[in-house]
Amino acid sequence: MNLRPKGLVIGIVAAGAFLFGEQNRAISGEPHPHSIARPASRRQLHLPIPDFSLTDHTGKPFKFQTLRGKLVLVAFVYTTCPDVCPLMTASMRLVQEKLPDRKRSSVFLLSITTDPEVDSPQILKGYGERYGIDFSNWLLLTAELQTLAPVWKAFGVGVQRKARGLVDHTPLIALIDGKGVMRFGYVGSSPDHKVILRDIDLLLGSR
Amino acid sequence: MSIFRLLILSAFIFIAIGCVRSERMENLYAQRCLGCHGPSGSGDGPVAALLPVHVPNFLETVRNKSVTQIRKIIMDGKGIMPAYEPALSKPEVQDMVLFTRILSQRGRNVEWWERFDPLVWAHCNVPWEVVLGYDEPPEENKPR
Repeated sequence: MNLRPKGLVIGIVAAGAFLFGEQNRAISGEPHPHSIARPASRRQLHLPIPDFSLTDHTGKPFKFQTLRGKLVLVAFVYTTCPDVCPLMTASMRLVQEKLPDRKRSSVFLLSITTDPEVDSPQILKGYGERYGIDFSNWLLLTAELQTLAPVWKAFGVGVQRKARGLVDHTPLIALIDGKGVMRFGYVGSSPDHKVILRDIDLLLGSR
Repeated sequence: MSIFRLLILSAFIFIAIGCVRSERMENLYAQRCLGCHGPSGSGDGPVAALLPVHVPNFLETVRNKSVTQIRKIIMDGKGIMPAYEPALSKPEVQDMVLFTRILSQRGRNVEWWERFDPLVWAHCNVPWEVVLGYDEPPEENKPR
């Protein structure tokens, strides 16, 4: 090919300048709507939760009714969530860590996925390990969509799939009493673990 | 310059640009990474301040890691960073790798030829690890 040197040089310089500029340009895209950090709102409720059966992170079946008599802290999250869920799970992790030993046997934690398409038991186990979760009183649960949908509904959680591994959902952490009744709901991306611990104390004291 | 030659040159420029940074990459980054890593990868996203852990600056992490290491972190997750391997396709993961690399180059005094790295190893289906000898090729691509 017999390109004129001047034209070729101009072309390459133009392409190089464009590329260099591209590499140094900061992204201007908007984050996912959920990433707008808002403090969680605390609501006091009296909502009986029906029994349900799901599969835990080890692949074993789990029945909600086996936790009767204990306080249960339930979070609705999914493992590839890029915004609210890390804050929610980190808050749950702090609750588990700060819980005094004498109350430990009275409290159980559950994370229920809102993305059954991706979150298999194995994926959930890896997620829990990355967070340093103590699995002795914390299970991560999944199931088929048709099994999970009624559970989401029972807790008042809305779930909308946007793309594979990208789901909009109500960012709910719920505190259930020993009779299976939701007593407190924390809706928002950043629930304060101290508030949750105080409510746990309140319910343990009132039994 | 004839129109034919001009067209060829234009095509080269457009292909080159297309391989470097695309809207798909920007959307992917905005949806999955920006909340924590921020618009320029400096770890100042709106979620970062609320996390109990420090979100590092790409200039201190991605810049010093190999492509294979970056890809592994994106696929397997690290700490509270999600593992994207089950949710994203390989080309999407590749786009994430490339985009984090692009952001990590900001302000870096690079050799001229390094700026053209992405031309070779972007989503152009070129076996870039092998071509550049940049990293160890992934397990599945190693000769048996």
